[in-house]
Amino acid sequence: MKRVILVRSMWMAAILLGVSFVSFMLMRALPGDFVLAAAGAQMLQPEVLEAMRRDLGLNQPLIEQYLSWLGAVLKGDFGTSFVTHQPVLHELWPRFLVTLELALIAAFIALVMGVSTGLVSARLRGAADWIVRLYNGFILAVPNFVVGTLIVLLVGLYFPELAVLSYTPFLEDPLGNIAGMILPAFALALAISVTISENTRAAVLEVSNQDFVMVARAKGLLPRTILWNYLMRNALTPIITVTGLQVATLLGGSIVIETIFAIPGMGQYLFDSITSRDYPVIQAIVLVAAACVVFINTLADIAYATADARVEA
Amino acid sequence: MTASDPILSVRDLTARIVSRKQIVDAVKGVSFDIARGEAVGFVGESGCGKSVTARAIMRLAPEGTRVELGGSVHFDGQELLPMSEAAMRDVRGRRIAMVFQDPMTSLNPVITVGAQIDDILRRHTGLSGRAARARTVELLDQVGIPAPAQRADDYPHQFSGGMRQRVLIAIAISCDPDLLIADEPTTALDVTVQAQILRLLLRLREERGMSLMLITHDFGVVAGMVERVNVMYGGRIVEAASVDDIFRAPTHDYTRALLAAVPRLDRHGVAP
Ligand SMILES: Nc1ncnc2c1ncn2[C@@H]1O[C@H](COP(=O)(O)OP(=O)(O)O)[C@@H](O)[C@H]1O
Ligand SMILES: [Mg+2]
Repeated sequence: MKRVILVRSMWMAAILLGVSFVSFMLMRALPGDFVLAAAGAQMLQPEVLEAMRRDLGLNQPLIEQYLSWLGAVLKGDFGTSFVTHQPVLHELWPRFLVTLELALIAAFIALVMGVSTGLVSARLRGAADWIVRLYNGFILAVPNFVVGTLIVLLVGLYFPELAVLSYTPFLEDPLGNIAGMILPAFALALAISVTISENTRAAVLEVSNQDFVMVARAKGLLPRTILWNYLMRNALTPIITVTGLQVATLLGGSIVIETIFAIPGMGQYLFDSITSRDYPVIQAIVLVAAACVVFINTLADIAYATADARVEA
Repeated sequence: MTASDPILSVRDLTARIVSRKQIVDAVKGVSFDIARGEAVGFVGESGCGKSVTARAIMRLAPEGTRVELGGSVHFDGQELLPMSEAAMRDVRGRRIAMVFQDPMTSLNPVITVGAQIDDILRRHTGLSGRAARARTVELLDQVGIPAPAQRADDYPHQFSGGMRQRVLIAIAISCDPDLLIADEPTTALDVTVQAQILRLLLRLREERGMSLMLITHDFGVVAGMVERVNVMYGGRIVEAASVDDIFRAPTHDYTRALLAAVPRLDRHGVAP
């Protein structure tokens, strides 16, 4: 296990290094830079723009800029925002927590909905199977933001007194905060829950055909023992894998959902900072998001190895 | 009922397998008895309905199929076919146990072999916790697993095919069944291991006085193992005789063909 963790950590470091480098170069390859974005419609003299770039270090060769950014990050310094002149971490942290909360609630909803509908579909077959599969196919065909926008419109139209559409900070009113998160989390979870549902269904059907399930029935075991210890325990590994991969995509989806529901999370922050070419902020968000994805996948791998003794992580 | 009553009495058993794709009449009216403590062989080519007959007695249908059963299955004073599913679950594993063909796929890969014996003990014997585990270790020992206390915590993939079949036999005998159905228990194993498993079944049957329904496509396996043989063909029993008579004077052409397929060396079967 120690060796596994060591290898895993090195993997994580390599991935994060690669992601930060690629995103750094890509942002600089976009037309325009922070200075032009900040100048906006003003017609500034080229010498003024050049002076601003020099102040921010944007006139250095790209590779040097990257290395000095990396060196600072390794010391825990993510720099200051070009726009607000505040330390990046200071601004990012509360927004990160908001997105994390949204993603966790969404992951929970997706897991519960996906696994239960997949299980019902595989075990009951017949009409239940048809209904679940039809529903899954329908939801898969509808993008996240359509569902999100529909929720906002419908709730705003029919239940205008509900406060669910306004964001409340957790520390002000924890219950109100969670209540406000449920609809956006639901919109975020729908597509993922369908993928989990389809995979759960396939995994349970596959396991049902295995000889050891017949053996379990020949032992006279109760249906619930067979369901949990034989079917679900074996279907768990593929379910964990697909859940890990899907939950990682939640971060991307939350950019859209946060915008629709006006939630002050990392997604909105990223959108704004890309628009203004606020490089230090963009770099920090990309790094945090990538770290989350790698972390979730590592968790999934560990859970996978724990669920199945045959797997050497 | 007296001791001479058969433990199992099957009359005109039919089994029709209904799946999405097709309907197959796999068993077309078979009748036979198995006496208490008796071992009976069922021999026939692959596809003749041996496994479907065995599963019909247990009222088990393969996943994704429905099996319509007809006739009667009388077991120890009870009629099994009209029984409720819940009552049938009390028969399975406790009164009638079954060992299947492929030990590589018959054990649950994600839980320890010990846990797979514990669960049937908990279900039928009222043993639990440490008492169940002690009995599990005892059973593993009885079927010839070395270091049973340690091996109980191992997973199926840590066992060879022969050792896994021993584990499955331990599961089958765990609740002292009256009848053990072994469906081609050695077909998937190496020749040397086959003989060991057959010897184990023979020993357990003698020690416990349980009845044995031994299914095989290979006449070499039944010699020395059973008293009587039913030869099956196309969903029917075409010849029923004592094992000595069958080897000496088979009456049915099909039986002769099956016997001719047995290599000479194996004809004497396994020594007890
Ligand atoms: N799961 C199943 N679905 C459909 N038909 C089956 C199934 N299992 C067995 N059968 C059919 O039943 C017949 C008898 O099969 P079986 O009892 O397994 O033969 P064997 O004597 O080799 O054990 C075969 O014709 C086979 O095609
Ligand atoms: Mg068979």
